[in-house]
Amino acid sequence: MRRLTLAAVIVTCLVLGATAAAGTTTYAGNSYWPAGQPGATWFSPSWFQNVFYKTSSFDTTLTFIDAQTYRWHSTVRGWGTYQETHWLSSENKKAHCHANTTGSSWAACTAYN
Amino acid sequence: MVRIVKARRWIVLLATLVAAGALVGAVVAGQRGPQQQQHDIAAAIERSAMIKVADIAGSDGLAARGVYVQELDTGHLCVWDASFAASRSRGGGCNAIDDPFNGRAVSASLSYDGGPGIASVRDARLSGLAAGNVARVAVLMSDGSERMVKLKKASLDSGDFVAFGYRLKKADLKRGIGPTAIVAFDAGEVEIGRQPTGIGG
Repeated sequence: MRRLTLAAVIVTCLVLGATAAAGTTTYAGNSYWPAGQPGATWFSPSWFQNVFYKTSSFDTTLTFIDAQTYRWHSTVRGWGTYQETHWLSSENKKAHCHANTTGSSWAACTAYN
Repeated sequence: MVRIVKARRWIVLLATLVAAGALVGAVVAGQRGPQQQQHDIAAAIERSAMIKVADIAGSDGLAARGVYVQELDTGHLCVWDASFAASRSRGGGCNAIDDPFNGRAVSASLSYDGGPGIASVRDARLSGLAAGNVARVAVLMSDGSERMVKLKKASLDSGDFVAFGYRLKKADLKRGIGPTAIVAFDAGEVEIGRQPTGIGG
């Protein structure tokens, strides 16, 4: 019984470790996006890529917001089912996404570090 | 008797593990579909060639950029705004090749730096594709005026398109005038497609 518990703990740690090492964080994921619905990561200098993946098209915005002025950087707005932007800066920033129109199918925002 | 109890414990434990595995599997499978598709597209973007299809002219002290497309083996057509083909500082998006304009005759991305208030936007650009029968694309501005967009023919494996890139004038941005829609017309000046857009929306 103890051996089994230990094995389960090890497997769980390996899975969680592998996920963290992948360097991606899905910070917003919904099957319904009302117009105006936002999502954002926490502030970190290491975010550099921001992706909005949708299973059907709706109008969305993807950006980075710096922690000092709260200005937007490398913003992309469009209806593409896969949207991507990059901000290669060491500034402290958060990845941000939001819906401009209502989306009624699964969509998720993912930040890379 | 002790053996029977031990065997029962093992059976209960195994049954619990199987049930937990099935539950986790069902939850993961529900999310894995879209997540796997996203991963596949991201991987295809990294390995696919970039083709330059239009220019974004330099102006107001800002460097020229290009509009690039990728036809992915995942069945997606991507349009990017980038300073050069291999640049990681690209922005844009992809759609299914069999529906590259999301049911319209035109599709574009608006890229900008600064904001969200329009007056603090330093640079704003439109990059996109339209159907091959589109003769004119105009940017409808928030004051009701139009800006003309230069079109360039783009013959891709997935079909014939027209491509465009447009940099918004700093004077417009400073006066708070931004784009509200990209409108496509055919040769008879009939509107055949419209995509809403905007800064800070």
